[in-house]
Amino acid sequence: MSKLKNTYEPAFVPGSRLKQVIQYNQELAISGRRNLYTADSDQLVYHWTDKANGIVPQSGEWSSPKETSFSLGDHACRVDIGVGFPAYDEVPSHLEGYEATPLSWAKDYACLLANSPAEIHPFESIVGEFHWEMNEVRKYYFGDRVHELGHEVRALGAGGTSHGHTCLDLGIGLREGWCGILARIEKSLALYTRLEHPDKINYLQGLKIICTAIMDYIQKHADRALALAEETDDPAQKELYLFVAKDCAQIASGKPETYHQAIQWIQFAIMTDRMVGHGNGYGHLDLYLNDFFLKDTAAGLLTRQDAREYLAELFLKVRGQHFTICGRLKDGSDATNEMSRVILESYDMVDDYNNLFLMWHKDMDQEVFSYACDVLARHGASVPTFCNYDLMVDCELRSGVDPEVAWTVAVGGCQWFSIPGREYCDQDVNSIVLLDPMWRAMDRAIQTNTSDFEVFYQMFVEEFKRTTEALRIFKDAQYEVLDKIWPEMATSLHFHGPIERGTDITGHRGVDVQYTSVNILGIPNVADSMYAMKKLVFEQHAYTLAEVRKAVSENWENNEVMRQRFLHQDKYGNDIDDVDFLLVRITDMIAEVLDHTYNNRGQQYRASLFQFQGHTAVSVLPATPDGRLAQEPLAHGCNPTAGRNTKGLMATANSLAKIHNYKFLGGTLQVELQPKFFDGKENLADYIRTFTEAFFAMNTFQINLNIIDLEKLKDAIDHPENPEYQNIIIKVTGYTTRFICLAKPFQIEFCGRTNYESM
Amino acid sequence: METASVFDIYRGTTHDGPGLRSTVFFQSCPLSCRWCHNPEGITAAPGVWWEARSCIGCMLCQDACPVSANPAGETGIHIDRERCIRCGSCVDACPTGAMSFIAREWSLPALLDEVLRDQAFYQKTGGGVTASGGECMVQHAFVARFFQELKAQGVNTALDTSGFAAFSAFEEVLPYVDYVLYDLKLLDASAHRQFTGQDNSFILENARKIASAVKEERFRAELWIRTPLIPGATATAENLAAIGDFIAGQMEGQVRRWELCAFNNSCITKYQRLGLPWACQDVPLLRKEETEALRKAAVSGGVDNELVFVTGLLRE
Repeated sequence: MSKLKNTYEPAFVPGSRLKQVIQYNQELAISGRRNLYTADSDQLVYHWTDKANGIVPQSGEWSSPKETSFSLGDHACRVDIGVGFPAYDEVPSHLEGYEATPLSWAKDYACLLANSPAEIHPFESIVGEFHWEMNEVRKYYFGDRVHELGHEVRALGAGGTSHGHTCLDLGIGLREGWCGILARIEKSLALYTRLEHPDKINYLQGLKIICTAIMDYIQKHADRALALAEETDDPAQKELYLFVAKDCAQIASGKPETYHQAIQWIQFAIMTDRMVGHGNGYGHLDLYLNDFFLKDTAAGLLTRQDAREYLAELFLKVRGQHFTICGRLKDGSDATNEMSRVILESYDMVDDYNNLFLMWHKDMDQEVFSYACDVLARHGASVPTFCNYDLMVDCELRSGVDPEVAWTVAVGGCQWFSIPGREYCDQDVNSIVLLDPMWRAMDRAIQTNTSDFEVFYQMFVEEFKRTTEALRIFKDAQYEVLDKIWPEMATSLHFHGPIERGTDITGHRGVDVQYTSVNILGIPNVADSMYAMKKLVFEQHAYTLAEVRKAVSENWENNEVMRQRFLHQDKYGNDIDDVDFLLVRITDMIAEVLDHTYNNRGQQYRASLFQFQGHTAVSVLPATPDGRLAQEPLAHGCNPTAGRNTKGLMATANSLAKIHNYKFLGGTLQVELQPKFFDGKENLADYIRTFTEAFFAMNTFQINLNIIDLEKLKDAIDHPENPEYQNIIIKVTGYTTRFICLAKPFQIEFCGRTNYESM
Repeated sequence: METASVFDIYRGTTHDGPGLRSTVFFQSCPLSCRWCHNPEGITAAPGVWWEARSCIGCMLCQDACPVSANPAGETGIHIDRERCIRCGSCVDACPTGAMSFIAREWSLPALLDEVLRDQAFYQKTGGGVTASGGECMVQHAFVARFFQELKAQGVNTALDTSGFAAFSAFEEVLPYVDYVLYDLKLLDASAHRQFTGQDNSFILENARKIASAVKEERFRAELWIRTPLIPGATATAENLAAIGDFIAGQMEGQVRRWELCAFNNSCITKYQRLGLPWACQDVPLLRKEETEALRKAAVSGGVDNELVFVTGLLRE
C-alpha cells in the first residue's frame, strides 16, 4: 500500500560510458569495500579510546578486528582490496626508526604514495583510487602522558582526538597547480634556511617531499593511462585513456587549464588528503569550477552533459566529501552561479552517495533554490542538505573570526563549518557526554540532602565545568605534540599560512583560526531528565533523588510505573515552553562555560549541538531519568529523543528554534518524512522550499531531510541482498550512506526514529 | 471565561486548505456519518477513553475510580459510559497517558497562543488555521471570536464544515473566513438521511446562500467543496454527477476547487478505543481507475475539469 520512497522520472540520464562507471562504483559500495569502521561504542561516545585515535586503521599492526568494529557505511574514500600495505617493511619509520618529526612523517607519506598503484578503470575519465591510509603505515600515538590524561577525562565524561576535521581551500591549488605550491615551499625553505630555524626547515623539507610525491603519483597515472592506451584495441577506450593521460600529465606538472583537468585536480587533491586520514570538507565547489565551466563551454570544448558526467564521476569516487554550494560573496551578493546548478543537475542525474550542502540565504537565486528543493523532494536522500549561511557567518564572527574572511565559511563536515584554508578545526572528534555531569550532580545532591532544584542545578553547572576543564588539559597535551606526531602536511598544502610560516595547520598559529570545538552528547535527554526530576522530585516530592538514581542504575527494573511517570512528564520538542526553556538554559550555560575556556593557542572552545553517532551506543549509555531505558538510543544532537515529540514537525522545529543557535557550531533538524506526504500533491518542492525558508528565518542551522518509510525500511535490515534495497541512500546524522552498509545497531536506531507524516 | 471543547489540534496538516496549517477539531457534531473519521468528536459530552498500546496494566485507574466505571475485561479496560461521571480520577492516576480525556476545554487566549506558535510557517507556506470537527459550527460563537482574533493577527483562516448549521451562524463566522471547505456528501435526500442521520435540504440551502453571499461580495471567502469518496455510499457516478450538477447549476460559479477525498480506514483504532463497531472498517482503498471514473462523472455536469482534485491514498 505505502511505498518505501518516492519514485520519479529522471530529469537527466547518464550516458552509456557513465553508466558503466556507476555500476562499478555501486558494486564497490554494495560489496562493503567502501565501508568505514569505528573501533567500538566507547569510540562513538567519547571520540577517544586508548585503542585507536579516530577511525580504526583497516590493516597493519594497529588495526582492530572487523568483527568488533562498527561500519559507519560506505563512507570511505579508501577502496578495500583485502590486503595490507605491500611495502610495509620498507616504510622509512620502520626501517630507520620512528621519529616524531614532520620530516619523518613526510617520508612515510611519500613511501605510501610511491607504493600505491595508479588505478585506472575502463570507462573512467576521472581516475584515482587508493587502498591504504597513513594510519595503516605509520604509528599514530600521542604518547603516554596523553593516554594517562585520556583515562582521567574519560572518567569525567569527555574525550577527543585531533585529526582531519577541517575544511581545505582547493582554490589555492586550482589557481597555482602543484608546481605553484612547490615553488612557494622552496621559497619559504630558502628563507628559513637563511634564517636558521631548524624546526621550520624540517617541516618545509617534509612538505617538499610530500608535494613532489603527489606530483609523481599523478604522473604515474598519466604513464599508466598511456600504457593502457597502447594495450587496448578498442578505439573509444584508447581515446579515453589518452584523454586521461594528457590531463593527468598536465596537472602533474602544470596548472589545471580545463574544466576536466580541474575536476581531475580536485580528485587527486582529495585522494591525497584522504590518505592522511578521514573527515575533511572541501569548500565551495561551485566557486572553484564556475570559471573553468564558462570558459570551456564558451569555447565549445565542453557540453553541459559532459560537465555533469565528469562531476558525477568525482561524486562517485570521493566518499565522505562535503562540498558546499551557494552562500554569499564578500560584498554580500549571492554566490550562486551557473555551476551551482550544474552541480545539482549532476547529482540529480547520478543519484548516489553524496554529502552536498547548499548554503541558503534569503537573497539567493530563487530558481536554483526551487530546483534544489525539487531535487531533494524527488530523491529524498537529504541531498542537497540545506544550511543557513548568514547564521554560519554570525557564528564565526561571534567566535572572533575576522570579517574579512568570515564570509568564506563553508560546511566542513557532517553538521559543522569552518573557514576553508584558514581554520584548523578538530570539530566532530571531541566530545562531552552531558550525562556524566548530571550523574555527579545527582550524587552530590543526594549526599547533601538537597531539596532545592536551583542548588541541584548549580551542582550540575559545576560538574560540567569540571568535565570541560579536564578536557581542556587533555586537549592541550595533544596540541603540544600534535604537529610532531601527526602533522597534517598533505592537508596543509591547501591552507593559507603553513608554507609561509613553516608551521603545520596542527601547530601553533600554523593558521590563524584554531578554536577547539566540542560535540555535546545527550542535551535533550539531560534537559528532559532535569525537567522530570524538577517536577517529580523537587516540586511534587513523589520520589527522592536517591530513588531515581537507584532506579536508573537498575535500568528501571521493577519500577515500570515510576518510569512511566518520568516518561510522561513534558518533553523537549513539543513546543512546550517550560521544558524547552530548561534546554535553552542548559545550552546557554554550555556556551558560557566554553566561551571562557581557551586552548593553549589562545583560542576559545565552541560547542556544537550534535554528536554524529554516539547516541546509538546504548551499550555504554545507562538509562536516564527522562524515562529512557538503557537499550534505547539517546537523542540525536538537539533533536528530541525519538518518539517523545508527538505534536508534529512544526512544533519540533519551534522547540529547536528557541535555542540561541548563533552561540553554537551547528545543530541539525533531522527529519524522516513519510513519502506518502507527497501523494496527490502538486508542487512537491514548494512544501520543502517554504518550510525551509520559514525554519531558517527563525535563525536555525540545518535540515537533514530523508523521505522514506521507516516501517518498510526495516525489512532491509534482514534482507540487504534484495536489489530494491541496495541503493537506498540515507542521511544518517550528518553523513550519508547506503542503508545496507551501516552496522546493524545504527540501522535499528535509524528505523526507530520519528517518521513524520507531514512537514 | 469563554471556552471551547476541542478534541484535537493537528499541527502541520496539508489536507485542510492551502499551505501548512493547524487544524483545530471542535467537539460535537449533529451528523453521524457512517464513515466518520473522528467518531470521538461526535458526542457533546465525550468523557475519557483508553488506549491499549500505552497501557502497562498497572490497574491504578481502577483503584482511583470512585464509581467503578472502568472494569478490566478480556480486551483491556472497558469504560462504562453510563456509569462514568467524567471526574478524571483515572486520568490523574494513569502513569502512561493510556487513560485520557477525549476533549479538553480551551480558553480563547490559550487556543490562540497554541495556534499562533506556527505563524512563521503559515506565512511562508500560504497556510493558516482551519476549524474542523466534529462540526465546528456547533460552537460558532467561539469560532467567530477565534477567527476574528486570527484575522487581526494576519492569519489565514479556513472553515471546514458539513454545512449543517443555521445560516445566521454562518453569517456570524464568515466575515473572518478566507476559505470555506464545504462538504457535499450525498445529493439524494434519502441516501443522505440513511448515511449521515440528517436531512440534506438544510445543507444544500446553506450552500446556495453562501455561494450567493460570496458572489455579492458580502464575504471575501473562497469557496471549496469537498466530497468524501466512500465506496458503497457516496462513491457512485450518479452521486458525483448530481453534486457536479448542483455545483455547476446552483452555486453561482463561486466554487474555486472541488476535492474528491478518497476513503481510507486508518481511523479504525479510534473505533476500537471507543469500543464501537464500525461499518466501514473493511472497506478497501479505491483504485486509480475508480477515482478517475468518479472524477469523470463529477465533471459531466459542467464543472470545470481544472477545479476537480482527487486526494488521499489509493490502492496500488
